[in-house]
Amino acid sequence: MVSTHIKKFDTLVVGGGIAGLQTALDLGDQGYKVAIVEKDASIGGKMIRLSKVFPTLDCASCITTPKMSAAAHHENITLFTYCNLTSLDHDTSSEALGVKAVIIQNPRYVDPDKCIGCRQCEYVCPIYVSDEEQGGLSATKAISIPFSNAIPQLPIMDIENCMLCGQCEKVCPTNAIDYFQKPEEFIILAKTAIITTGFELLPKEDNFQYGNGKIPNVVDSLQMERLLAPHGPYNRVLRPSDGMEPDSIAYVQCAGSRDKSMGVSYCSRVCCMYAIKQAMLLSGSLPLADITIYYMDIRAFGKGYEQFYQNAKAMGIEFIKGKVAKIDEGENGSAIVRYENQDGSGIVTANHDLVVLSMGMIPGWNPEPICPVSKDSDHFITSIKPKISPVLTNMNDFFVAGAAAGPKDIVDTVTESGSAAMEAAKFMSNSIMEN
Amino acid sequence: MENNDKDKGADKAKEAKKAAMKELRAQRKTMIAAASTKMKEQKKDIKAIKKNLNGQTATIPEIAEAIDMPKDKTLWYMATMKKYGQIVEGPKEGVFFKYFLSESDKTQEKAEV
Repeated sequence: MVSTHIKKFDTLVVGGGIAGLQTALDLGDQGYKVAIVEKDASIGGKMIRLSKVFPTLDCASCITTPKMSAAAHHENITLFTYCNLTSLDHDTSSEALGVKAVIIQNPRYVDPDKCIGCRQCEYVCPIYVSDEEQGGLSATKAISIPFSNAIPQLPIMDIENCMLCGQCEKVCPTNAIDYFQKPEEFIILAKTAIITTGFELLPKEDNFQYGNGKIPNVVDSLQMERLLAPHGPYNRVLRPSDGMEPDSIAYVQCAGSRDKSMGVSYCSRVCCMYAIKQAMLLSGSLPLADITIYYMDIRAFGKGYEQFYQNAKAMGIEFIKGKVAKIDEGENGSAIVRYENQDGSGIVTANHDLVVLSMGMIPGWNPEPICPVSKDSDHFITSIKPKISPVLTNMNDFFVAGAAAGPKDIVDTVTESGSAAMEAAKFMSNSIMEN
Repeated sequence: MENNDKDKGADKAKEAKKAAMKELRAQRKTMIAAASTKMKEQKKDIKAIKKNLNGQTATIPEIAEAIDMPKDKTLWYMATMKKYGQIVEGPKEGVFFKYFLSESDKTQEKAEV
């Protein structure tokens, strides 16, 4: 590992999704120097991977991309992408500002100062690898830029799939390929830290009632977001097993959430609304398809959400109250859904061309043993004053915003991010006055 | 004289890079072997798809059947080939879309035939 460099900022934001970007922009606009540390190769988080947002059906990318770009070009914001946080704690050294983070910059095998993002390396690379940005439904190359509007526009070389054939090096117009790059450690000292590490979906492979992820046309909701996105794997909604345009699509709600056996006893809050949103988008792109949502109860909690739900019903989307007990593989790629209908008609089985699991949300980051910030029993970061200031944690100079503190939608995430920026600014200005 | 020194320096750097690459190849021997096998299989699969599409349009199940490849794998390749401009989506036939080779790939395929 290369020698350690120290960088100083006012605030360290951990996570470059919509919460981290909004927090950083709110602080940066007030003149605070902010560092965003992101584990992925691009900022943008989950939101940049969505098709549209509820209840306005605005394009997610059209909202997120300007924020990403604003953060990248902000004079007070510095981005550190493709990094691992190895330690985050209070700082007691002589140079102490309050917070100390030890970070590893993972090697891209591309010199960021030379690369111009022309993608020539990607086009000539002869090896295809599964594109996780597209839910694994298509492929990318062993050296590639993660997605078209990624920031920064830098490719990553997947060395496990690289033959060292040298084609990328030969074609690169700026000699940016560096096969010998090594991980680099550096330290960030800051006055405050804001944790905005977001969420992950419970893996569908863990859900044995719904086929452990082995039934070909049972996808999770983030895969469906990609299928619905204009830059998705097929540029339209097709069935992953054979490319058929599905005629009957089902949503299974609470697939993992509100289920102690899956370790997620809480409600993930956004699944009802995103399922309704996706169903509405599907009925737009596949007007003749039958769309069914199997639910326990619909939680339309926000402004305009109930109307959104009523609109979906008026559009002909069928809502069936009943918990799906089992999904099996049917004939010709179909999935057989078995459920108990709460209207009294008993146990029913239904065939669908495509089934979407609204999987529960789990924390995107486990602070143990990296950071001593407290976690709740649901493993999200503890808000010590959940009613009057949900961004405060048990560490006075550490704040939390967005889904890192618990499942929430984009509206609440952005609001909370502003609040976290305000609390961090208040903490820093109080420290100046005390000194 | 100065030019000679420069050339010597460049040669030395080239030699050093060559030696370093050799060492890196030795370190990643297993990964390189696995990647090479994968690349050969992929090349074969893509060649079969292109050969099947030469001069005709076909749906995913038709291509899969013709080249004896699982339908999901065929779709995975087709989605990727479409992304990189090797094939184009055509009209719909029943519940499936038809695909054909892009102009540049048609020329390439003809040359190979």
